[in-house]
Amino acid sequence: MDVSVGPLMTAAHQAGALEKDLQCKLYQHMQACRVMEQRAYDLFMQNLIKGTSHLALGQEAIAAGFGVAMREDDYTFCTYRGHNHTLVRGVSMTAILGELMGRECGLLSGKGGSMHLMDVDKGAMGSYAIIGAHLPMAAGAAWSAQYRDSGQVAVCFFGDGTTNIGAFHEALNFAAIWDLPVIFVCENNLYMEYTPIGDVTAVEHPAADRASAYGLERVVIDGNDADVVYAVANKAIERARAGEGPSLIEAQTYRHGGHSRADPGKYRPEEEVAAWKRRDPIKMYRARMLENGIDESEIIAIEEAQLGRVDKATATAKSSGPPPLEIANTDVWADGSSTWRN
Amino acid sequence: MKVLMPQLGETVTDGTIVAWHKQIGDAVEKGEVLLDIETDKISTEIEAPVSGVLVSIDVTEGETVDVGTVLAELAEAVEDSVAVIDENVEVAEEIKSSAPSENALSDAPEAIARLSRGENLSPAVRRLVTEHNLKINDIDGSGRDGRVTRQNVLDHIAGLDSSAPPTQAKQDERTERIAFNRMRKVTAAHMVKSKATSPHVLQTIDADFSAIDRSRLSRKAQWKATTGYSLSYLPYIARAVCKAIADFPLVNSTVGDEELIVHSRINLAIAIDLNFDGLVAAVTRDANDLSVSELAERFNDLVMRARAKELQPDDLQGGTYTLSNPGPFGTLFTAPIINQPQVAILSMDAVKKRPHVIESDSGDAIAIRPVGILAHSFDHRAIDGAYSAAFLQRLQSIIQKADWDSEF
Amino acid sequence: MAELSYREAVAAGIAQEMRRDESVLFIGEDIAAAGGVFKTTEGLLDEFGPLRVRDTPISEQAILGAVAGAAMTGLRPIAEIMFSDFFAVCWDIVVNQIAKTRFMSGGQCSFPLVIKSGNGGGARFGAQHSQSIENWAMAVPGLKVVAPSNAADLKGLMAASIRDPDPVLFFEQKSLYGTKCEVPDGELLIPLGNAAVTREGTDVTIVALAAMVPRALKAAETLQSEHGISAEIVDLRTLVPLDTKAIFKSVSKTGRLVTVEENPRLCGWGAEISSLVSEELFWDLDGPILRVTTPHIPLPSADALEDAVLPSPARIVENVLKLVD
Repeated sequence: MDVSVGPLMTAAHQAGALEKDLQCKLYQHMQACRVMEQRAYDLFMQNLIKGTSHLALGQEAIAAGFGVAMREDDYTFCTYRGHNHTLVRGVSMTAILGELMGRECGLLSGKGGSMHLMDVDKGAMGSYAIIGAHLPMAAGAAWSAQYRDSGQVAVCFFGDGTTNIGAFHEALNFAAIWDLPVIFVCENNLYMEYTPIGDVTAVEHPAADRASAYGLERVVIDGNDADVVYAVANKAIERARAGEGPSLIEAQTYRHGGHSRADPGKYRPEEEVAAWKRRDPIKMYRARMLENGIDESEIIAIEEAQLGRVDKATATAKSSGPPPLEIANTDVWADGSSTWRN
Repeated sequence: MKVLMPQLGETVTDGTIVAWHKQIGDAVEKGEVLLDIETDKISTEIEAPVSGVLVSIDVTEGETVDVGTVLAELAEAVEDSVAVIDENVEVAEEIKSSAPSENALSDAPEAIARLSRGENLSPAVRRLVTEHNLKINDIDGSGRDGRVTRQNVLDHIAGLDSSAPPTQAKQDERTERIAFNRMRKVTAAHMVKSKATSPHVLQTIDADFSAIDRSRLSRKAQWKATTGYSLSYLPYIARAVCKAIADFPLVNSTVGDEELIVHSRINLAIAIDLNFDGLVAAVTRDANDLSVSELAERFNDLVMRARAKELQPDDLQGGTYTLSNPGPFGTLFTAPIINQPQVAILSMDAVKKRPHVIESDSGDAIAIRPVGILAHSFDHRAIDGAYSAAFLQRLQSIIQKADWDSEF
Repeated sequence: MAELSYREAVAAGIAQEMRRDESVLFIGEDIAAAGGVFKTTEGLLDEFGPLRVRDTPISEQAILGAVAGAAMTGLRPIAEIMFSDFFAVCWDIVVNQIAKTRFMSGGQCSFPLVIKSGNGGGARFGAQHSQSIENWAMAVPGLKVVAPSNAADLKGLMAASIRDPDPVLFFEQKSLYGTKCEVPDGELLIPLGNAAVTREGTDVTIVALAAMVPRALKAAETLQSEHGISAEIVDLRTLVPLDTKAIFKSVSKTGRLVTVEENPRLCGWGAEISSLVSEELFWDLDGPILRVTTPHIPLPSADALEDAVLPSPARIVENVLKLVD
């Protein structure tokens, strides 16, 4: 196995303090994600959100790091645990909460739900609920950008469990052979749904240890360190934009909650949970910002602003009614209809 | 239990449904009226033969069906519903056992076998029949097993359209179209059939009605006062006919299959006009047993009831010889049409004062006498001209010489 | 007019559209350098170059995922799935991603892509390379389904499919590749959702698709010459959108319907046609609706067996005779 350090790992090691603006931006995104996901949890408990929901509490640094590094017209593809990835592209929090609650003001007009958040205008090209399916789609979007010579890149987020499904391997090989500008980001939160990922994977690092199979650099980073995530994201995106092909990044992290609402996550050892909660990305970054000399009042201002934002979004979304029934029969086809016959 | 169209008259072959009194699903008691029907000139009711539930009505109001046609079905109490359940089980087993084997390469259309005449008319056939108000029995079926196909119905409709009489290019305001009522239709059909069946020969003779006049005129006033109606020539002629038939029985018969069926009783029918709105031939059974006065009474009763449409089937059935008397209108003679299945009919028109030659030893003289012409149409299959002529001669003799007073 | 084979018409249709629209790209296994395993795409690499006509690895999920991602982001890609049986390998991308995403997004994006595939039996390839799966596609909301029966229709329908703003599954019937017919010169475009009345008749309507159309035509000739029965043949051409008007017009004229389907019996496309006609045209039917299909079995490979199970002209005649009095 090639243990030489490539450009992405170099960038990771060299990650240092960022400009204040960037730090604040990163913190703001993480804070926004945190309060929105917590609110989603609360709304569940109040039975205002139906069905199921997959919260990414504790994994905010990855979404935020990439979100800040991406260009406005870059593409995001993520999984059903994608509220954060969608939010950081500048998508309306009201629309996200509205969609979760099945309201008319919802991001998808109430037609998609929690697992399919998407805002094409913002480059959020969809959250997908079939494990691995969006990886080749992200490759396709990257292929499109390459063909059009637009300089856009696609960033594709998925979990550790995805690394064992066929589409993962097909997509990586495909992207590698065509040098597609796509960054594959594996958020390894150590558990494939309810099962420790090590029990079901032939290698220790489910994504990074497969990279060489596709001729790619082995990259494992601390996914809870926003600065590191940002640095590596930046580098990968830069390389992709320059035509140097795809990347595969394994970002280690941990989710505070269970796999989904139905899951209290009791299969994880208490000490493990406690240890990772001590490494809460937001807590860590807050401390670092203070260390870097940022005034606490500014930090508090960011926190309060995001709280105010989520309260406003919640209130607005709650006041919206259910979608009109007619829309159930719309938008199967590009012309807006669902007609299959004359 | 099936309710059938009954035969309401000897020559009646069908009947018309006038009105249903019950609906499908109604419970009926034995004897309760189910529907009204009408045949030729009779209206009558059909009663439920048993108690039960009316489960099907197979004919609609206005429809005319043959005698013996199923009109409706009654489900009697428990036994019938059990029968229905068993039927379903039978059908289910039939379907199971007739399912094609899994490995059969051919596609097996079981449903086609069930499309045949009488059961399971196809949807297209049903719709067309309903839309065009047709009777399925009127339509020839050329499909498998004689089934009526959609094309058969379409052809039938086209045929009806083309056989309709050509309409006038411009509606003439002075003409009036009077649709045939049931009686007219029946009469028309009967007349055509009679002429087509019997080779008619007309033979006439005249008769001097002086003797009958003496009897009739002397009684006229009193008769009218007692009975309320006039004593006409008809009962006299009827009596004379009966007497003549006694000597010439073959005119009182029916042609069978290469045989003549000679009737022993004389059931004399008289033609009664219903105020220009139809014609009935009302029968007096065993007329030969009746005197002139009895005949007169009987005839009056028949006329009254005919005009009030109160005739019973017995009044119309079983005639063996018919007498027609259009005399009041002053006509000379009429060539009447035989009333099937009889072999002869007599028409007696007006009795009029005529100059009549009287022969005597002292020479011929002309006197004024009441004379009427008897016109006899007979079926030449049954009898010949000489026989009929001899019958007429006998009749003439009776009219002119019978002791009419002894009839009263 | 030129005579083209069915397989030549594939390349002709794709080329016509690639010439007029630079956003049309084409990828698949062995479609570029080799011109396709069935030689349906010869000449395309030469004319349009390796950026627009590209060979892929054996990665059906990646191939279809890629065209999905490209279609969402402004291109009009075409992908080939070599044998339609292989759709099962990547059916998730087709039915869960491509077919559903527009709807789930509330109409934010669309998928103007074509997936073309070699469909059906008759080539003795055995069960995993011979099934007709157009009924699988018809059953998925969000997919258009095209299945031409001749070279001219193929070229025109291919062009229309590429121009269509929605996902189209384009089924080329393998057994028809060698058939030829006159194809008009110049641009050819046959809008989707238009059936063709290939033969007019009065006694029975035979609705057929793809390779079953020529078989129905042969059966119609036999029915006319040997039995005096006049059959009307309706070539559906597309299953979605469905030209129900054409079907109804024909059946209301003849009163009788027979479908001829290459797919296996259960839930074949004829079941839907039968249901529509019996529901909306019940009172015009002079007999039950019959379906002539392959039995509900995987296709056997031996030529004698395969020929016996695929609907033949003789079997079509046999069924019509049962139906027509």
